[in-house]
Formats: sequence, C-alpha cells, structure tokens
Amino acid sequence: MPAAEIVSTLEILRGWRIIADPSALDSATWPATSRVVRISPDDVYVIGSVEPAVPADPYAIITPEMGFAGVGLSPAEVTAIAQEHIEWPLPSMRPALAQGQIAGVPAKLELHVDGSALLLVACAARHELEARIARTLAGCA
Amino acid sequence: MSRVVYDGAPIEYAQGDSLALAALRSGQHPARGGTLCLAGDCGNCVAIVDGTPWVRTCQTTARAGTVVKRHPNGSHPSPGGAEHHAHVAVRHRSADHVVIGSGDSGVTAAAAARAAGDDVLVLDAGDGNEVIGVFDGPTIVVRTTDGVHQIHAHHITLATGAAELHPVVPGNTLAGLYTAKAAAAVRGAGIDLGRTVTVGAELVAIRGEGTVSSVELADGTTHECDSVIFDLGSAPRDVLARMAPMVPVTVVGPAAAAHALPPCPKAGVLCSCGKITVEDLDGVWAKGFQELELVKRSSLVGVGTCQGGMCMPHLRAFVADRSGTVPEPFTARPAARQLTLGEVAAGYHIDTFRRSPLHQEHLALGATLDKFGGWFRPWNYGDAVAEYWAVREAVSLGDVSTLGKMIVSGPDVVEVLERLYPNHVHDIKVGRSRYVLILNERGHILDDGMILRDAEDRFTLTFTSGGASTAEMWVRDWIETWGLRVHVLDRTVSHGAINVTGPLAVELMRRAGVSDDDRPKFLQHRRGEVAGIPCHIMRLSFTGEASFELHHQIDGSVALWNELMELGRPLGIKPHGLQALFGLRTEKGHIIVGQDTELDSSPRRVNMDWAVKLDKPWFVGRDALLRTAALPDERRLFGFTMEGPAPYEGSVIRVRGEVVGHVTSSWDSPLFGKAVLMGWQKRLPHADVVEIDGREAHVSPVPFYDPEGARARS
Repeated sequence: MPAAEIVSTLEILRGWRIIADPSALDSATWPATSRVVRISPDDVYVIGSVEPAVPADPYAIITPEMGFAGVGLSPAEVTAIAQEHIEWPLPSMRPALAQGQIAGVPAKLELHVDGSALLLVACAARHELEARIARTLAGCA
Repeated sequence: MSRVVYDGAPIEYAQGDSLALAALRSGQHPARGGTLCLAGDCGNCVAIVDGTPWVRTCQTTARAGTVVKRHPNGSHPSPGGAEHHAHVAVRHRSADHVVIGSGDSGVTAAAAARAAGDDVLVLDAGDGNEVIGVFDGPTIVVRTTDGVHQIHAHHITLATGAAELHPVVPGNTLAGLYTAKAAAAVRGAGIDLGRTVTVGAELVAIRGEGTVSSVELADGTTHECDSVIFDLGSAPRDVLARMAPMVPVTVVGPAAAAHALPPCPKAGVLCSCGKITVEDLDGVWAKGFQELELVKRSSLVGVGTCQGGMCMPHLRAFVADRSGTVPEPFTARPAARQLTLGEVAAGYHIDTFRRSPLHQEHLALGATLDKFGGWFRPWNYGDAVAEYWAVREAVSLGDVSTLGKMIVSGPDVVEVLERLYPNHVHDIKVGRSRYVLILNERGHILDDGMILRDAEDRFTLTFTSGGASTAEMWVRDWIETWGLRVHVLDRTVSHGAINVTGPLAVELMRRAGVSDDDRPKFLQHRRGEVAGIPCHIMRLSFTGEASFELHHQIDGSVALWNELMELGRPLGIKPHGLQALFGLRTEKGHIIVGQDTELDSSPRRVNMDWAVKLDKPWFVGRDALLRTAALPDERRLFGFTMEGPAPYEGSVIRVRGEVVGHVTSSWDSPLFGKAVLMGWQKRLPHADVVEIDGREAHVSPVPFYDPEGARARS
C-alpha cells in the first residue's frame, strides 16, 4: 500500500482478508496498490481498498478486514521494541513476518529489508499495546 | 570528601567507597552486626537505600546525598510505597553463550567459547550486571543500572568462584567481624581495623557488647581485639547453579571445586538472613524433621536473601553430624537478591483485556465497565432496572461485539459441522439459523452459540465471548484431525455486533431503514443496510424479547450505535449493560456456559436434551452421551423462585440441612416482584422446596418469562 496510508500511531487499516487453498493464494494476483501480508499458508491480509480475487478456489473466504490497526516503525523503533518488549527471537531473514506477543499483546511485525517494519495488532487490543510501548517509542523520537 | 546520610547523620566517604565502606570509615557497621564479606555473598550489610530496603551496601557505590537507613532491629523493613516500586524497564538480549563471573575461570571460559565461534556475553556484578535468577528457557535475569535485562542464552557457564565461610559460634552477630578478603578490602581503603585477631576452626566464641572485644579459642585462651578476621575456608558460590536444575549450566573454577564442609556448628546464628540459630535447628530435628529439605522447610533456614549461599555448608555439616550422611545441597529459588516490585514486574504484563469498538460510546454514556470474558464490557449505565424495563417495555441496545464469530466455507463444511455439533446442520436452510451446544468428547458442554447458513457451502458460527478463543482452536483442530476441506476465518475482533431488543425493536428497525419485507423473522438472518451501515441481521433472542443482532465491520460500529440511539430516542431507547442482560436472560432460563454449567455438565443435567440429536451417526461427545444415558444422574439444574432479596450467586442450596448444590444465577425480578434464580441440586431425590440463605425457595419451571416464546417471535 502507499506509504502515506500508514500513519504514525496505531490506526485502523482498511483491507481484505482472504482464506483459501495455499496453492490458490500462491497463484493469485493482488491489486497493484495493495500491500500483501501472508499471515499463514491459507491466510492473506491485503491492505488496501481494492477487493482482491482468488479465482482458483471457489470456496475462498474473501471479506473486508477492518480488524487490524497498524503503525510503521523505523529501524530504530524496531530495535527498541524488540529489546524491550519481545522475548522471542525475530527472524533473521528479511523480508519476514514475525508473529507473537509484543509487550504481552498478540501482534505481528512485517519486517522489511531496510530494517523498518509494519506493526499490526487487533484493533480490540491496540489501546493496550499503545500504552505498553508508548514509553519505548517516545524514547526513539 | 563527600557525604551520605546514614541513619539520619551525614558521614563522609572516599571516592570509590561502597556504602558499606563509608559506614566502616565512620566507625559504624553498615547494618547492625554480623560478619562482613563485602563480596555480596551474605545479607549482613543490607540496609534501606534511598527508600529501597534490602540493598546490599557493599555492592552499592556511595554517592553524595544518598540516604541510608538501617533495617529495623529484629524485624523486616517495610516494603516501601509505590514510589519505591516504580516502573523498571526490561531489555531482552540474546547470546549463544553467557558466562557469569569475570574472574580467572570466567575469562578462561569466555575465551574458549569465543574460540569455538560462540557469541559470548560475560556478566559480572562488579561490572553492574548482577544476575538475580536463572530460569528455564534458559533465561538469565540481570539487574543493571538501567533496568532489568532478560538474556536468552543457549548455554550458560557459571564462573562465580567461591565464597568465604562465616563463623557459626556464639557472638557471631557482633560488629567487627570480617572474612579475610573483606578485611583486606577494608584495609585497602585505608580504614584502620584496630587490634585484629585472625582465627580459624579453633574459634569457640566471640565476646563483646555490640562490637567484638575478644575471642575465645578451643585451647581455652582469650584474645582481646577490635576486629576478628576469619580464615575458615570457602564454599562454592553455586546459588545460580542450584537454581536451574533443568537448564544446561556448566560450572567451572572454584565454583565447581570440591570444598570440605566446616565442622558441625554447636551454637550461634547459622542463618544470618533469618537469624536462625543452631538451637533452632536442634528444635526442629527433635520434632522429627531429620532430612535437609525438612530442616529447611521447618526452620526456614536457607530461604532468605542468600538462598543458602552462606549457611548451606554449616547446615549440611549439621545434618551430616546428626544423620551420619552428608546431604546434597538443596535447590535454590529465584531471586538471588531482594527485588523491588518494579523489578519483579519488569517485562511482565497482566492479561490483555480487549475493547469493543464502542468502548468510548459506553464511557460517554456513563457506563461502569467490567472485565468479562476477556473484554471490557458495560456492567450498567447507572440504572440497571431502568435498562431492564427498556428491554421489556420499549427498546434497548446492547453491545455484543464481544461474541465469538467465525466464517466457515468449503465442500466439506456440512460434514464438519454435523460432526462438531450435537444437533442437525444439514437441514438448516440458507437464511436460517439454529441454537447449538458444543460438547467435548466426554459429552460435557464446552460452549454454545448459533449456526447461520449463508450458502450451501458456507456458514457463520457464533460462540460465547469468553469461549471464542477456545472454540476457534476446537474447530480448527477437529478439521485438521478429520482432514476435511473447510476454510476457517475468525471474525471475533473484526466484526462489531449490536443487539436491538425489546417490543419496539421492530419499529426501530423500520426507522433505521429495514422494511418489513427485508426484516428477518425469528431465527432467520439476512444481509442489508441498517441506518446506512451494511449489516448481517440476525433475528434471535437472549433477552426474551424480539431481538436483532446487527453484525458489521467495526469501522461502522460507532455510526450505527449513535444513529440507532438517535432514532430510538422517541421510542424510549436506553442501552443496557450486562447486569440487566443477565437478569433478562435468567427470567428466560437461558444458561451462560461457565456460569450455570460446570466442567462436567451434560445437556441432560441442564435440561437441554432437546439440543442433542442422538439419531445422528456421530458427533463429538455422542459416544459418551450414549454410554451415560442409562445411568442415574443426581445432578440437575433447576429454576427457583423465592421471596425477598435475591441471594448471592454461589449461595449454598440445602435440603433438610444438607448441602445439595449452589445458586448459579440470581436476579431480583422487577417484573415478578421476587427473586428468580437457577441452581444445582446434586442429591436424589430432588426436592421441590429448598433452603437458600435460610429462606425457602421453590422449584419453578423455566422459562420464568414468556414460556411460549411469543414475545421473542413477535
């Protein structure tokens, strides 16, 4: 998705959620303006407003997804968050999707090649996560 | 020289002094007496430093203005107020190999590990990295000057050296007593120890008033002195090794070396942390606690700040003398240092309680929020009875966004649901729904909810708020177990849901743009716009009144809620919280799984055999239900009514004085003017009249309210 759509605090992201056969997802073509997060082999989160299609699976579940909030993190913020709030080792490969508890809240980190990341959390828990990492992010400002 | 404040009086210190040395420099013991090691091994120098108790003053550098206060004599210090337990940052670090201790053996171990290609981290208290615990993982918890570090290591080497033994003789709590290394450190700091005597195992007793004045030796001689220096040997500094028996730890150097036990102590304080004497140990031994762990537990020796670091050799010598067998050391427990609550809590979080997308709307309406089923939910908006009447007589909104919600789709979806649920699924028509129980393999109720058919091969499932996470795992696990082709998408946190309920709910739906033709009838559902928000409209009822659950994307929740509140204003609309909802559903006899059920509640026990179709070939729990169907079953959930105030939920139910069960749900019904409740009877024969809170309660058929269900269908 265009970088401008990712805001500086955890905000609801507009997107689509697709559950389908992994092979169908592998062969799908996603909207050019969208950012695609492969949550699991059969689960894709497409951030963007254009409805995607998965023609190779007639049983695919394709539904709007407003349940995530996200924030872009700079490399320094990623490092600080990892040091203070993540007990598990981040994957060494980039790009990568890391999923686990951050400050005790289930969350996801889409890790980019340049060291930055997109932090994703369920909207219902974003206030908890914001409160728990605010001190850390303030220290990076 | 600069000054610190010690027990209210300023004292001078030299650059580089620890607080303990500063106290000694001013002629005082840093605590109230006892042998000083000045190595952090014992607890004989702990004091309250800038409000934080249990600080080892020998490990704390003196800084101008530091305020030190001795612990109270004969008792423990107050833990201090919140200001002394402030937030402590935690840092997570990783290393292939962590070496604890930077003495000779630590340096050697670190060099060897580096040569093997390991990423090595060396921790030493002298460098400001005080290891306070080793946990499974392994995780090493370290107190540093900038917070607590949690270090995740693949391997740990302990090179913590050996600790000098303290004497256990009468008078060993006096001031003026030093281990050899401590005496050297004191002298090295330019502090005069006065007349000194160096003694070893020949020591019998120490004499003095507050401070040592002489020592008695085994040959009967007495030697006057101002300070005593002990040469009693050493013991491995192995607390961290004993703390983590499940963690791969290598111990090297003096910490791993064999050390002879000291002679069995005959008198004096053996455990300086707890001021436990040899006489105390004799007492517990005489009571039959004749094993190391039993002596520890019964006397509390070794459970103090040093976790046996100082007393263990003497304790083992004591047990060896009495039993004839040298016991192995006992396990040490984290933490190896007293911690502030902030340090203990560093990096730990309470459970995450989720917020509904309507959280702020509830607060703006004056709601009291409660934590329920993993969510913040409105308990009431100030007047639960008024909320109740709004449901019974007008129209009301309830936030049910917290319900579990799931979409399942696939060629095998009917087969999966037929196996998962105890009632029929194949005959649910598209656009229709059915209430369902979920049973476990033992036929006990796991959860309940609704099945809604969206298409021939696609359904929406709902679950209870508290059961949603378990339900998702349950569904996914079974689908994988059976190898059937069904996609699953949990929508619990992505979809909001608002329950429009009450006799005027239909009218509110009309005003929100849902025509009579578009409005689903009871147990139907369809998709459509409500007040301009796309919704999945489900017609069902938990309150006993006509109800429409409006499921929608959460970005539409606030607009939908506010528009419905506005449109409903002329109809007398009020929101209702859980307090009113629980009363409303109790009047209908609707159970809440986990409140009205127990871990082993079967459908029969809660009078819901109607929700089970044993004519199906198979479903989870069917075998258990068939196996137990013919057996007598004492347990049964009943409805009761009683005059007077409703008893507390959990109240005991008695029959002729015998406890037969407890109240699970209780409500002062405004409609009936008496208490309606549900509860268990677990003894046969079941009684028609029971006693609750010393009053009579009468078994009553449920539902208490509208047993024909006409209002829900209207």
